[in-house]
Amino acid sequence: MAERNILDSLGSGLVVLDARDRVSFLNRTLAEMLHASAEEWVGRSAGELALVMARFALPVAAPRFDWPEVFGSRDIEWRDAETLRFFREDSAPLAAEGSGQAGAAKGRVFAYHDVSHEKAVDRMKSEFISVASHELRTPMTSIKGSVDLILSGFAGETSPEMQELLEIAQKSCDRLVRLVNDILDLSKIEAGQLKLNFERLDVTEIAVRAICAVKPLADKTDVRLRVDRPLPLPIVEADPDRIEQAITNLLSNAVKFSPPKAEVVVELSSDNLWVQCAVCDQGVGIAEKDLHRIFGKFQQLSEGRRRGGTGLGLAITRGLIDEHRGSIWVESRVGQGSRFIFRLPIAAPPSPPGPPAMAGQAVKP
Amino acid sequence: MKLTRVLVVEDDADIQKVIRMSLKIRGVSEVVLVETGTECIERLAGFTPDVILLDVMMPHVDGYETCRRLKQDPGTRAIPVIFLTARVQKADRERGMKLGALGYLTKPFDPMTLHDQILELLSEPSGPETEKGGGADN
Repeated sequence: MAERNILDSLGSGLVVLDARDRVSFLNRTLAEMLHASAEEWVGRSAGELALVMARFALPVAAPRFDWPEVFGSRDIEWRDAETLRFFREDSAPLAAEGSGQAGAAKGRVFAYHDVSHEKAVDRMKSEFISVASHELRTPMTSIKGSVDLILSGFAGETSPEMQELLEIAQKSCDRLVRLVNDILDLSKIEAGQLKLNFERLDVTEIAVRAICAVKPLADKTDVRLRVDRPLPLPIVEADPDRIEQAITNLLSNAVKFSPPKAEVVVELSSDNLWVQCAVCDQGVGIAEKDLHRIFGKFQQLSEGRRRGGTGLGLAITRGLIDEHRGSIWVESRVGQGSRFIFRLPIAAPPSPPGPPAMAGQAVKP
Repeated sequence: MKLTRVLVVEDDADIQKVIRMSLKIRGVSEVVLVETGTECIERLAGFTPDVILLDVMMPHVDGYETCRRLKQDPGTRAIPVIFLTARVQKADRERGMKLGALGYLTKPFDPMTLHDQILELLSEPSGPETEKGGGADN
């Protein structure tokens, strides 16, 4: 009973489902969230629980024993009358006593943590970055505009030394613009405010678009870009612009780190669950000790900084893939090149159209 | 098409100068500069530019409200409006285009291609919304 009191005293809601998808425990906090008593829920089905939760939660919380991920986590909105709160739903398998093995789970536990305050702070941070981005753009516009105009020769001839110095200023200004754009993107992703326009699409088309976008950069060092897709790909549901941004980021990095005349290949493949996209280069590679931090913010290696990167490209790319419920990782060997690989879940087949109207059936206006 | 008269609504004096120079070097003979949305509306009495370049963040009457008023007035409705702004997010673009703007360019812009971008927008058949320019987009 002591354990029950402890679990009831938690600020977070808690429910445990058994292997038959029945509620074996539900704590007082979650019962209060559902306007019900904890006891009445024991033994009832996960389906019933999902129905009740659907009155409050968006997207619909539907806890199930066979959750697709070993450790699941997602944010949900919880609207109760006029009050809107945000909860983080975490779930994990409940191992059989004394087993400790994932395969021997006897249930699954779902916890609902109130993250409304964190969301409010995230929103404030995001608003601040949005305003700061605007304020930074105004002087950057004057600097970049003035330098570009002088370099065009409009204001008279410049000496070779002046030209060189102005080109440094121009390059740095362009880098500053990229940095501001990247910070804005990342803050949106981190605040969960990135709006994705999902479409059913073939990643091949997006990869080709990304290659076209990166080609001018690759041409500077005669790096060849190629798509390798042995078989047609299944359809995914994704935001085409954001997936193009992700592939473009990976391709730009691959080109930047490749020697002249090298080849960068986008390998596309699939299995029953995922479409996989690997951007493979023959570049300098990444040391094993650096692999774990490569997707972090401002974690670029010194070489990347020298090549004009902002240090946020991979963090943004990971954020974009995460937002699509995909995953991303890297395989690399120093001196042999790198493979940045991401995968996206295959879309469910489109729902069939409704039954055709029966012949002769009267239709009232 | 030749661009002859442009009305620039921009409250930052330095950016005004950059816009004016970038248009002048491409042969635009008349670049009229005003600082606020109210001045823009006043200046249009007896003056019809080929296009209005409109900033968004301005004191008192912002660019969105200015555009809304221009498109409501039968006397100014037909003048093409192109936003030129540091507001780069998707929602900002959508808001601008819904108000009837011809295009949405973002800062910082390339002064060497600004003229061509304007001409390109002006020569496109009206219909689908046109959103152009660099910058973040979310």
